[in-house]
Amino acid sequence: MSKVLYRNATRIYPGGTRPAVNALDLEIGAGEFLVLVGPSGCGKSTALRMLAGLEDIDAGSIHIGDRDVTHLPPKDRDIAMVFQNYALYPHMTVAENMGFALKIAGTAKEEIQKRVREAAKILSLEEYLERKPKALSGGQRQRVAMGRAIVRQPKVFLMDEPLSNLDAKLRVQTRTQIASLQRRLGVTTVYVTHDQVEAMTMGDRVAVLKDGVLQQCDTPRAMYERPVNVFVAGFIGSPAMNLLDVPVEESSVRVGSHSLPLPAHALGAAKGEKNGEVTIGIRPESFQMATDSSGLPVTVNVVEELGADAYLYGSVELPTGQHDIVARVDARNPPRRGERVHLSVRTEETHFFSSKTGERLAAPPT
Amino acid sequence: MAEAHTVHRLRRTWDKHWYAWAMVIPVVLVIGALVGYPLLRGVYLSFTDANEHNVAATIGNLHLDDQFQFIGLRNYQSVLGGADTKFWAVLGRTVVWTLSCTFCHYSLGLALAILLNRPLRGRTIYRVLLILPWAVPAFISAFAWKLILARDNGIVNYVLGGFGIRPLDWLGTDTLALISVIAVNVWIGVPFMMVAMLGGLQAIPAELYEAAEVDGASPWQRFWHITVPGLRPVSATVILLGTIWSFNMFPIIFLMTRGGPGDSTQILVTYAFVAAFEGIRDYAVAATYGVLILSILLVYASFYRRALRSSGEVW
Amino acid sequence: MMAPKSESRATPPRTFRRRGERSALASVLLHATLVGASFIAIFPILWILTISLRPGFAGSSEVHLFEPSSLDNYRYILTNTKFVSWLWNSIAVAFFTTLIGIFLSATAGYALSRFRFPGHRPLMWTFLVTQMFPVAILIVPLYNMMNKLGWVNTHTSLVFAYATVAVPFCTWMLKGYFDAIPVEIDEAGRVDGLTPIGTFWRLIVPLARPGLAVTAFYSFLTAWGEVAYATAFITSDEKKTLAVGLQTFVTQFKQEWGYLAAASILITIPAAAVFFFAQKHLVAGLTAGGTKG
Repeated sequence: MSKVLYRNATRIYPGGTRPAVNALDLEIGAGEFLVLVGPSGCGKSTALRMLAGLEDIDAGSIHIGDRDVTHLPPKDRDIAMVFQNYALYPHMTVAENMGFALKIAGTAKEEIQKRVREAAKILSLEEYLERKPKALSGGQRQRVAMGRAIVRQPKVFLMDEPLSNLDAKLRVQTRTQIASLQRRLGVTTVYVTHDQVEAMTMGDRVAVLKDGVLQQCDTPRAMYERPVNVFVAGFIGSPAMNLLDVPVEESSVRVGSHSLPLPAHALGAAKGEKNGEVTIGIRPESFQMATDSSGLPVTVNVVEELGADAYLYGSVELPTGQHDIVARVDARNPPRRGERVHLSVRTEETHFFSSKTGERLAAPPT
Repeated sequence: MAEAHTVHRLRRTWDKHWYAWAMVIPVVLVIGALVGYPLLRGVYLSFTDANEHNVAATIGNLHLDDQFQFIGLRNYQSVLGGADTKFWAVLGRTVVWTLSCTFCHYSLGLALAILLNRPLRGRTIYRVLLILPWAVPAFISAFAWKLILARDNGIVNYVLGGFGIRPLDWLGTDTLALISVIAVNVWIGVPFMMVAMLGGLQAIPAELYEAAEVDGASPWQRFWHITVPGLRPVSATVILLGTIWSFNMFPIIFLMTRGGPGDSTQILVTYAFVAAFEGIRDYAVAATYGVLILSILLVYASFYRRALRSSGEVW
Repeated sequence: MMAPKSESRATPPRTFRRRGERSALASVLLHATLVGASFIAIFPILWILTISLRPGFAGSSEVHLFEPSSLDNYRYILTNTKFVSWLWNSIAVAFFTTLIGIFLSATAGYALSRFRFPGHRPLMWTFLVTQMFPVAILIVPLYNMMNKLGWVNTHTSLVFAYATVAVPFCTWMLKGYFDAIPVEIDEAGRVDGLTPIGTFWRLIVPLARPGLAVTAFYSFLTAWGEVAYATAFITSDEKKTLAVGLQTFVTQFKQEWGYLAAASILITIPAAAVFFFAQKHLVAGLTAGGTKG
């Protein structure tokens, strides 16, 4: 296993105006599981393919271990990749698919067979070794794609949205299998997904990209508790954090008709905002139903009851109009649709961002 | 009781499928009448001694009935084993013709398709130009090539003359004539192969090539392990169609050399035509040849189909 | 294969080839090959074209490349021969062949695509096999049949003969096209109250337009370029199609290559035009029909 280093790596597609990946600076430790996550078009797949050697690098460099691999072809980089659509060779059996790279490299046949059998055992593919891909289910094909990567015993695993073609239940199951497999094998893994739940549950660290620019790279917990800007705050966490642009008053912010006192950690930063406005971020779990009418007035639109939790989707009245918010409520006693409820906010858990730049002003103490 | 049950089942089958049959009936009728009947009659004729002298004819007011007789397998005997039969020589030549044509068709078509499958400037123009031979009616092509290859005034000999090479009688010398007609048939048939292969190449997902690249395969290895197997379905279809098409290719040889010089470019279909329409029109012998040609092709097609089935293709 | 490289020292300036970029030599070879192949592909027609533009060109291929060109040969063909009436004959035959071809192939192709009726597999196999039939075996009995029907020397005989040539291939190909149209559309039609035949005409046919276009073009080209049946079935001069007419010209004009060339070009232009309309759909039809079997 090796560490991976992106140093100012940039990729501009010919004819494109802005870079698909813009000066990416990322250091991935040996044996680490790093997830690249972001919305469509954010450059995460491109960044992965740059590491694989399937995309040119227009500026900057990429290093695997101590080697500068920026101009090396894929086969010289000692990496293995799991593609989104698996890319299994249709006319070869599972065993041949898994052994293909070794065969190309001239490995001895017994060695190939040994490694294929080991990988098949780990992935429970032993009985499918002689089948062709078209005779396999989606989940089985996904495992073959992983087996093909494992057999190579590379320095780095690259995975491009490997779970996106599976149904929901299988996805959850396979997610844990991949994570535990990686822990067992200890190979540095770079994993691309658009699903932030996958990112949060699988990665040692998560890197959020937007429009080709790295927003934040941190552990899942740190991403959740201390998002560095409005985008990350709204992207990580499901249901998403509520983000409201509100004016600052003496020692409070005004949310519609309600006044929220500024918490200690935000006083200085919020007051320093010249335009008198901040963006506050309130996670759904920071709300609670107020016993009296002293809280934020909310009209209930939809209540989602998920068994253990219930989420209230409603709207608050702001000067700028109706604004949707999500709040977590007691599942045993949820409000009804159309009701008007009052929610109190645990302000010590509130995030503050600049309404101009979106950068973090203050994060709640951990 | 059993009869009522069968009737009931037939009735159900009818109800279920009548509109399917209704849609298919026109075609079946037309094909049956215009292909089935002549086929059967052709087969029947091959068992007789029909020629232009003894078939029904209307001369003025006089109407003569068919007077040919059933002679069983005698036509087949004389064609296949008779003393002066040219059948086997012609068959051999037909095989040579078909194999050479198909081999050249496939390899040139594949090569051009591979070249065209890359991003390059002017790709559309090249494609349009390379398809042109397919667009031209076959008899026009035959005429054009005949002019080009003519011994005395053909442009080919003219150009060769510029290099000091004596003019060759392309269409009048034994082996040269066969090579010439093969070349012309290849010229006509390559566009079809190229277009089909191009479609097949474009159907191979790019991800497979990337996976192979990551696995360490060189360009040649990628061609061998991904392109060739990926093209197998298309290749199977076009080779089958191509061999049958070449085997039965009548206009080129007929219009360019008439089978000559001598019989050096005769293939089975042209030879049968000669028997049917030249000299004393021997309809029975022509029909015999027709039946033999058809049988050969049917046997070939079923072997081909069986070979495809065993290698996993659906046919 | 894996030579270690130093990490942060400045690497000597070296232009790396981008992915997918060809070397200059490879580009030159590629284009040279394609240019050569294209030249071979178009040369015969170009040659005929140049001959046709040279008036009074009797029997020589001396390469007078830059002689004055004129359309005299074309004028002669169009005004002094039966070319124009043959042209109309060919158009008529091709038109009706196309009509019948589309109708028969579409109905049969649809039935084969959607319905698993008893006999559908042998029928498909029959279609393939009929394409193998050599003209030799069919032409004499067909001629006799046309004779009995009184259709010899009529265009009807040709239309039906060409239909038998074109329909099997077109049915096969259209089946492939229909296979690609999801069955859900048929089901939606049925839910909306259409009979299967209604579904076919109103819903499926508009969606299969590319396939129908190819069928039309293929039938047209078959009728336009067929020689054997046309020679056998048509006896009177006025009824000849262009294919037969050209053979007459060959004997009639002997060495007057200019006229022959002009006639050839005139015959080729409609065929090529129709072909180029159809060709981009042709590939889809071939791969659809071929790979699905």
